[in-house]
Amino acid sequence: MPRRSISRLALLGAAALVAVGAAAQDAQSWIAQMNSAVEDLNYRGTFVHLQGEVAETLLIVHRNDAGRISERIMSLDGAGREIIRRENEVWCILPDTETVLLEDRSDPSPLVSVLPSYSPELSHYSFNLHRRTERIAQRRTQVVSIIPKDDYRYGYRLWLDTETAMPLKSQLVDEAGNTVEQILFTQIEISGEIPKSAVEPTINTAGFTLYRPPAMVPQTEQTLSLAQTELPSGFQLSAAMQGPMAGSRYPVNHFVVSDGLATVSVFIEDPKSTPEVAAGFSRLGTANAYSLTVGGRPVTAVGEVPQQTVEAIAKSLRAR
Amino acid sequence: MTEPIFQQISAFADDELSADECEFLVRRLERDPEARGKALRYAVAGAALRGELLGPDPDVLRRRLSAALEGVYVPVRRSPPEPGWVRRLTRPAVGVGIAASVAGIAIFALSSGIGFNDGDGAPTVAVDRGLATGDSEQPPSYVVPEAPGTEGSMTLTNYLMQHGQYTPAIRRASIDSAVASDSNVWQVVTEAEPAE
Repeated sequence: MPRRSISRLALLGAAALVAVGAAAQDAQSWIAQMNSAVEDLNYRGTFVHLQGEVAETLLIVHRNDAGRISERIMSLDGAGREIIRRENEVWCILPDTETVLLEDRSDPSPLVSVLPSYSPELSHYSFNLHRRTERIAQRRTQVVSIIPKDDYRYGYRLWLDTETAMPLKSQLVDEAGNTVEQILFTQIEISGEIPKSAVEPTINTAGFTLYRPPAMVPQTEQTLSLAQTELPSGFQLSAAMQGPMAGSRYPVNHFVVSDGLATVSVFIEDPKSTPEVAAGFSRLGTANAYSLTVGGRPVTAVGEVPQQTVEAIAKSLRAR
Repeated sequence: MTEPIFQQISAFADDELSADECEFLVRRLERDPEARGKALRYAVAGAALRGELLGPDPDVLRRRLSAALEGVYVPVRRSPPEPGWVRRLTRPAVGVGIAASVAGIAIFALSSGIGFNDGDGAPTVAVDRGLATGDSEQPPSYVVPEAPGTEGSMTLTNYLMQHGQYTPAIRRASIDSAVASDSNVWQVVTEAEPAE
């Protein structure tokens, strides 16, 4: 092959690599914009949550009042469960069981400050910015794919509003390439003003049973630690805290492990606690949980990751 | 003492409040840190005036408050309306509930020596807590179980909701959707599905 042709090929190859790299960077830029949009914008809309053959229609109202975020999600089907997120608390109102769950969002413990800060490099994913645009909920969207490089995390296909980067459609893709969940907006208003009343609960909860964290619980010594070297590749400890939790008489230790995109929480109960969670795997929607006992403490790892990931992370706990 | 809240606290101390008024006062104290502060100061001042803080037995107040706290569980249900005899019977219980509320606050403040400005940090003691739906609306009532049952699925749902606070915003909608869907319940998977 003439030297000139080789040079041309090398040049084309390099250009292709640069283009792929730029596309990946553009895709990551879109994802960063998406994360900001989901938190920062004011919006209300109706979306369909599809999982297997089950479809549920939900209403979402998201309000950002000068940085104070509040959100209401309400199922428009069935009993009409409602979830209210405010700055420091989450209310989950379940009219079918006449139950209200309240979780206070406490500040992370001082332990967090001594942990290494985690910079999400997302090196365990590849990114693809599609050339095509599609129309979703009467808006034009840019399609972005996030493809995991191993079986420890799920992939995503995202349809992002070209004006705001709001995700108007998303698909969660398992390790076999199957779509396991879809969220699709059928209607959305992205506006400057959402009244406070729009994020207030609409369900009359008179007589409901409230589960909330005890006001004060004694701190207990943490006797388990994560063996970081045994975590699935790419996952790192990103937060650790201890505090009261609804339904637990004793403080619960909570580790958050993340690869920058997927997160898994590990809950460690006090030895005296009896959370009545069956040992082994449990599943709700796309969330998997794995429970076991380590050093006499009930432990559960939960996250929207494959089963082997929650299992590996739960089993990475070691008694000190 | 011209403010209605003070008048109510005073009337409560004198056992002049109806059960409904007691219930209202409990809610008000629960929601309003400023009112709780006033209630505390009033309770402490009243105890001091009656000599309960200084002697002859300085632990009188503490014992009385502790007794009020022990085993006190006062569910407040708004409906159905109760017959008169039930109201008469429950009135002392509501009174004890409010006493426990103030007592818990008082014990906490006395033991820690801090003031009462932080409503969020104040302990809540066996009283109902409403999810305010707006300033103009009466908050709904809740029954707070003294020892909440922790069925496995409820515990897992608790975990998932807590976990949702640390996930990227886009995944939070998915978690909320899963919890909000009443067709979804936790399924125990007996054996791990083999990885592909």
